[in-house]
Amino acid sequence: MNRFVQFNRYENRAGNYTLKYPLSNTYFGMNSKLETQLAELLEANIISADIVQKITLFYHTKEEDKPNRLFVIFGILGALLTGLGLILIIAHNWDDMPRSTKTVLAFFPLILGQIACAYSHIKKKSTAWVESSATFLILAVGAAISLVSQIYNIPGNLSNFLFVWIAITAPLMYLLGSKVALVIHLILSTWYASYLGYSYKGPIPWWYLLQFAWAIPFYITLLKKQPKSNMTGVLNWLIPLSAAIAIGTFTNGDTLVCMMYLGFFGFLYNIGQVSVFKKQKLRRNGPAIIGSLGSSFLLTILSFEWFWKDAPLESYPLAELLMTVALFLAGAAVLIYLYLKKQIKSFNLFQYAFIIIGALYLTKSFGYVHGIILTNILVATLGLFAIRIGINKNSYGILNYGLLLITVLIICRFFDTNLDFVFRGILFIAVGAGFFFTNYLLLKKQGKNAINSNTKSHE
Amino acid sequence: MSKFIYSTLLFLLFAVQLFVPAQMVYQQEDALDTGTPYKFKTQPLDPSDPFRGKFIVLNYEIDSFETEENWDLYNGPIYVYLKTDTEGFAAVKTVRKTKINTSDDYIIVESKHNYGKTINFDLPFNRFYMNENKAYDAEISVRKAQIDTTKICYGLVFVKDGAAVLENVFIDDLPIQEFVKEYQQKME
Repeated sequence: MNRFVQFNRYENRAGNYTLKYPLSNTYFGMNSKLETQLAELLEANIISADIVQKITLFYHTKEEDKPNRLFVIFGILGALLTGLGLILIIAHNWDDMPRSTKTVLAFFPLILGQIACAYSHIKKKSTAWVESSATFLILAVGAAISLVSQIYNIPGNLSNFLFVWIAITAPLMYLLGSKVALVIHLILSTWYASYLGYSYKGPIPWWYLLQFAWAIPFYITLLKKQPKSNMTGVLNWLIPLSAAIAIGTFTNGDTLVCMMYLGFFGFLYNIGQVSVFKKQKLRRNGPAIIGSLGSSFLLTILSFEWFWKDAPLESYPLAELLMTVALFLAGAAVLIYLYLKKQIKSFNLFQYAFIIIGALYLTKSFGYVHGIILTNILVATLGLFAIRIGINKNSYGILNYGLLLITVLIICRFFDTNLDFVFRGILFIAVGAGFFFTNYLLLKKQGKNAINSNTKSHE
Repeated sequence: MSKFIYSTLLFLLFAVQLFVPAQMVYQQEDALDTGTPYKFKTQPLDPSDPFRGKFIVLNYEIDSFETEENWDLYNGPIYVYLKTDTEGFAAVKTVRKTKINTSDDYIIVESKHNYGKTINFDLPFNRFYMNENKAYDAEISVRKAQIDTTKICYGLVFVKDGAAVLENVFIDDLPIQEFVKEYQQKME
């Protein structure tokens, strides 16, 4: 029986309603699984035809948004590919052309991009127009500077070029309201910082701080106005990732870098606890995930003896010291904010781990034993905390993350302690049993919940 | 902010975006039109840049200068004053930390790794962008030519008020593009 006939059969049985979209493509374009399920539910008299109507209408409205979104994505992709293609064609170097022709051609894509942006701004065109034209203009600016540098053999390395490119395209995100402009700005800024800062004896890319700060107000506005949009989700990951990559350029490779990153990850994790992020799905909470994974990784490294015993306390460069202190203070400030806004509902050790290690680091000159022991205890406790959160939230992912943390800690101690083999063996068996036991516990809990909810619904 | 201010700012940004490359063009054209040409003896190598394409790096013979002054641990900009030697190629007349009152042409370059009375520097106009199919052959053909014959490779640089524009690279008096073309035809 085809869907249309099926649909009409339901109509006859209900008798007292009219269907708005019985023949429309929208209805037939609906998720077929959902469609079958709706039919089954209606047939079993679990939901009324009225509700079927409402659900159909809901998906109909949702479907209407889809072509527009696709148009935006294809528009941006088109502009990106055209712009990048242009740069590649320029890179070929057409040495048969006279200099004047090449110079005029260098300005052509730039002016074209500006006309497109001006048109989409003045005529208040759709998002697709704005995003595509902004993407094209940013790439055209890069192409124009590249071509002029090529025509006149202008010296200067990639970092100078990126710097100028970023500087004269940065306002576009605000003036056009373009989110893709923000994404490109972040990518270019991270590239600039990495190219300059990670090169041999490279200088500290101070300008990156300004470039990064420039993007933040736009991002905050997006978080407030469109917290659930796809692009905000992408930026939730991209912004902390950019900072995570660039922060390493502020060190000269000494042991303080561990503290600097620990402060950064602590700050990120706490940012992830602010309600605007906490309300979102975990996979969209980039700050919390990056902060947690980063902290766990670093703390595992810090649980080794060498950091507390062998790594010397050196005199660190001022820039590195300042950055570390600033990150710790920022992390603490977010914690205070969370307290003041009453956004801390239960005690979560992950939020304080960076402060504990920071305090331990300050006592490093008094000895090393307490540092090693307390860090190991902290990592093990963090593992237990993750297990607890996992069980409370019914999340296998978080539960096994906690178990993994404990396992990694034990594997690390396997190498640098003098415990005898029997003891180490028992430890491994205990953690292995812990994996089975806790997962079983969660499974049982979920089963119980399911039975309870079934009983309630029957009542 | 009203739409008028947004639009004004947007057009101002467009103007800046046009001004930056235009100003680059103007500076270079000015030096090419009214600057003094110098021939710097050099040796090309072939790397590449993701945006600007293939180029040859020019290793100039002029990369240091003996002075009376002690340059130990000096890092920073220097003024390299130029002259033309008896063979018609560029040579260094003097090097100073600050600008001096003379009509001689000069280039401002960065200097580092200095010990004793010798000042070391890299001339800034050391990139020459070439067609992607010619850059590598340029390196090979010039190296071969210099082994087999007494051909001299030099960069023709226009200098004005401290700015220098590399106009072209020549092997004897043949532009490098022509030289590579001839080499590629011979190899086919």
